[in-house]
Amino acid sequence: MILVRAVIAILAFSLLFPTIRASAQILHFVTWKPEAAEVWDQAINAFERGNAGVKVVREVAPQSSTQIHDLLVQKFKNRDPRLDVFFMDTVWPAEFASAGWALPLNRYFTAAEQQKFLPAPVSANRYRGQTFGVPVFIDTGLLYYRKDLLAKYAIAPPRTWMELVAAAKTVLARENDRQLAGFSGQFKQYEGLVCNMMEYIGSNGGALWDEKRQISAVNQPAALDAVRFVRDRIIGEISGRGVLAYEEPESLALFTQGRAVFHRNWPYAWAVANDPAGSKIAGRVGMSPLPGFTVGSGVAALGGWHLGISRYSRNPDLAWRFVAFMTGPDVQKRIALATGRAPTRVAIYDDNEIAAKIPQLKSLLASFKRAVPRPTTPVYVPLSNILQRYFSSVLALPDTNLKEQAELAARDMNRLLDFVRDR
Amino acid sequence: MKSSHRLALSLLLPSFAFVALFSIYPIVDSFRLSFYRLILTLPWLGQKLVGWENYADLLNDPVARHSLLTTLIFVAVTIPLELLFGVGMALVLNESFRGRALMRAVILIPWAIPTVVSAQTWRFLFNDRYGLMNFVLFGADTASYIAPLAEPHLALMAIMVAEVWKTTPFAALILLAGLQAIPDDLYEAASADGAGSWQRFRHVTLPLLMPALLLALLFRTIDALRVFDLVFIMTQGGPADRTNVLQFYGYKKTFTEGMVGYGSAIAVVVFLIALVLSIIYLRFLRTDRTQVSGS
Repeated sequence: MILVRAVIAILAFSLLFPTIRASAQILHFVTWKPEAAEVWDQAINAFERGNAGVKVVREVAPQSSTQIHDLLVQKFKNRDPRLDVFFMDTVWPAEFASAGWALPLNRYFTAAEQQKFLPAPVSANRYRGQTFGVPVFIDTGLLYYRKDLLAKYAIAPPRTWMELVAAAKTVLARENDRQLAGFSGQFKQYEGLVCNMMEYIGSNGGALWDEKRQISAVNQPAALDAVRFVRDRIIGEISGRGVLAYEEPESLALFTQGRAVFHRNWPYAWAVANDPAGSKIAGRVGMSPLPGFTVGSGVAALGGWHLGISRYSRNPDLAWRFVAFMTGPDVQKRIALATGRAPTRVAIYDDNEIAAKIPQLKSLLASFKRAVPRPTTPVYVPLSNILQRYFSSVLALPDTNLKEQAELAARDMNRLLDFVRDR
Repeated sequence: MKSSHRLALSLLLPSFAFVALFSIYPIVDSFRLSFYRLILTLPWLGQKLVGWENYADLLNDPVARHSLLTTLIFVAVTIPLELLFGVGMALVLNESFRGRALMRAVILIPWAIPTVVSAQTWRFLFNDRYGLMNFVLFGADTASYIAPLAEPHLALMAIMVAEVWKTTPFAALILLAGLQAIPDDLYEAASADGAGSWQRFRHVTLPLLMPALLLALLFRTIDALRVFDLVFIMTQGGPADRTNVLQFYGYKKTFTEGMVGYGSAIAVVVFLIALVLSIIYLRFLRTDRTQVSGS
């Protein structure tokens, strides 16, 4: 009898105090190796100290979006319980949500809490009314330029793409340096090409696809004109064909070696270009929002990373506490200070220490608020592959019939969108 | 008699089980999946048996057709070059000279380096601004510098160069083994009959090297048909899809797009092409063997 009572008492006790049941719990976190890894270590240690008995086990994946995507998909396919919290790129939430792999977070990530974040990255996590991730960093396309060269020829930072081409041509003609290119961006056949091209198309009033009607828009005049402009004026006139094989590192290297007047990249490039250890142009770099086809019509692609929770996690409540902690104001601020990565909580941009140590961040806030996410759909990856093939073909082979290729791409895209349109 | 039979069976069983698990099962499963429409990111479509639909789609898919053509060009260009250079290398390494042992080791280096590393190196060599290739070709004339990996008509060629560089040592190794199996007295006899060095090569070396050559051809063809890593690192299939070889296309379909059925159909096609070519080669190899032993 005493024994039975004792058992009941222990059961009741453990139900009343779930933290005791949670003792010696392991939380599996799939991440890539971040810059300033020590800040992450400290944050994770602080979380473990605040949650007695919890151990966070990290699985470090390669820092390549494609590779971490494939690793996560493998784990989801196997319903692996050794995956609780994971890093998620901006374009995955719809896919992971639709496949039933990511846990909907609405009951944790409340509307009031969402208000404290920048709107664009939060909306990138939404799919069919549910939210599937919490943004950690925000990335957005920016225009970098050589402050010294523009000043030398009394040119103002360009507000339109046409001004940019004209400015580049002026500098190239006057400098007469055959090593110098007017512009460097990312035009290799890969995901970055879609980001670059959606900025041109969007700033001409076009879109990759019409999200309301779920049909392709690459065959529309606004999109066709923008692509033609990139082919004939950017790559044809001021950037050289080498950019057709460039991802971010090569295009940035060209700029930091002083061989490009203008450069399109994400916020991290600011710190790299101004680091005298690796850059020949430190201190001579300017940064502005991307131009548009008319003044003020500029559109920047939204990038960034989010934390999500696996549907197969055995301990979603604990996983949420970890996500909330890692995206909290304190950790975000420390990561921003250590890496210069742009935080997603609005309040941090007004922080005094941030303003003193990374002054450029505040000036980016306007761009971050206007950043446009790539359309959210579970078939994003196949759509992107069609777009990459189309853009690369018409840019690398200027003699192909643009309209014809666009129609073919639109037809292929619509066939995929058929799967999701009527749902 | 019976117990030895049982012993043989029990000794064979583990290796059979191993092959069945890691070789036969995946192949059979790929065949099975290729008859389904299964898209991981669209679970509400379910796993639907569609018969030959994936294969019909594949036939009508211009990207896949172009991809097959690219793969076949890749094989048809790289294999003869690898064998040609391989024979040259093997002939040199078969001569006796000072430092031959060292040379034999050195020559294997390109093959021993992991492809991801050498592919990255080649990507730098082909860079349009600071690549060594441009410097070698054009020197200080920077205005003439080209970007092979950015040009649709050059990118595949650039990958072929990397492939030939990387795998010629492997062909040379097989051919060297073949050369060493040729008895010296045949050469002595040929010399005694007044054959010059070309005649000795043409009438002694080449016929006796045939089995090794066919073996190298077989290995290299199967390998080249499945080329993936060079493309993955150097071009990701671009520019203008001109380096989108079949295996890379299949990988993208299956693993990045989640189109398991369609991706499996591509894998099956690559498998069948390799199988048919292997059977043809093996037939040649066998007739060749019987001829050699018969003569």
